[in-house]
Amino acid sequence: MADDSFDFAGCLERVRQRDQSASRQLVEHLYPLVIRIVRSHLPRRVAEEDLAQDIFLKMFTRLAQYQGNVPFPHWVSRIAVTTCIDQLRAQKRRPEFRWADLSENEAEVLDNVLTDERDTTPGDALAARELVHKLLDQLKPDDRLVIQLLDLEQKTIAEISARTGWNQTLVKVRAFRARRKLQKLFQDLQNKEKS
Amino acid sequence: MNQFDHQWRKLIALARQAEDSRDATAPYGFGTRVAACAGTMPFGRAAVPVEKFALRALLVAAAFGVAAIAVNFTTFVTSTQTDAYVAADVVGDLLDLS
Repeated sequence: MADDSFDFAGCLERVRQRDQSASRQLVEHLYPLVIRIVRSHLPRRVAEEDLAQDIFLKMFTRLAQYQGNVPFPHWVSRIAVTTCIDQLRAQKRRPEFRWADLSENEAEVLDNVLTDERDTTPGDALAARELVHKLLDQLKPDDRLVIQLLDLEQKTIAEISARTGWNQTLVKVRAFRARRKLQKLFQDLQNKEKS
Repeated sequence: MNQFDHQWRKLIALARQAEDSRDATAPYGFGTRVAACAGTMPFGRAAVPVEKFALRALLVAAAFGVAAIAVNFTTFVTSTQTDAYVAADVVGDLLDLS
């Protein structure tokens, strides 16, 4: 984990002097942080390790731009977030969301959420998580990121703003727009279910 | 809270219960591979002040441009009208000649 005990300043100094062992230490230390972000925002058909590697290479090529104004892990997490968004944007087309695409468990969870007929069980959690990711896939990358951080990871608006570099008003606007889109998706699904 | 909010919150709360149990440590050799790749790449250069202020300078220049047009607008319009009058005169002269 990216804890406080790691000597970032010393390590970065050695990295700048092309010390390969310091570079390796830095990568291995930051890997859990980066891989968590990658897994949260992983675009379809992209291997998480490849994306993590891209993020670390960007980190090295931009290292001279790091001024030390923010903690180094924050700076890296911003690179990770923007890289994931770029990957999501590159995919452009999002597949249409249909009942047929859902697994049996996901369809059951969705049906339960929409109809509110029975209480959910802990066993539904994994299916719910997959379902949420499928729903988020229907959103624009920026909107998806805001909902992911706000609702799933329960970050505050200020934290999202710090992580993404977007101002707080923009974060709120994107959250509002994303919820509107999700609401429409839910309505469409309910209509399809009825028909 | 409307119906959608209720449904969404319920789904999200359920999704949050699913913990990601996947290993988050770097795979064997990942750090070495990335460090080796990074070793062959340039580390870039720090942003120079000129680049930092380039966008701001562009905006200031654009603002000056707009201000210049606004201040000189009356002169510009008058000048155009005068030109039109002169041009009309030339045509008149030509007609007189014929």
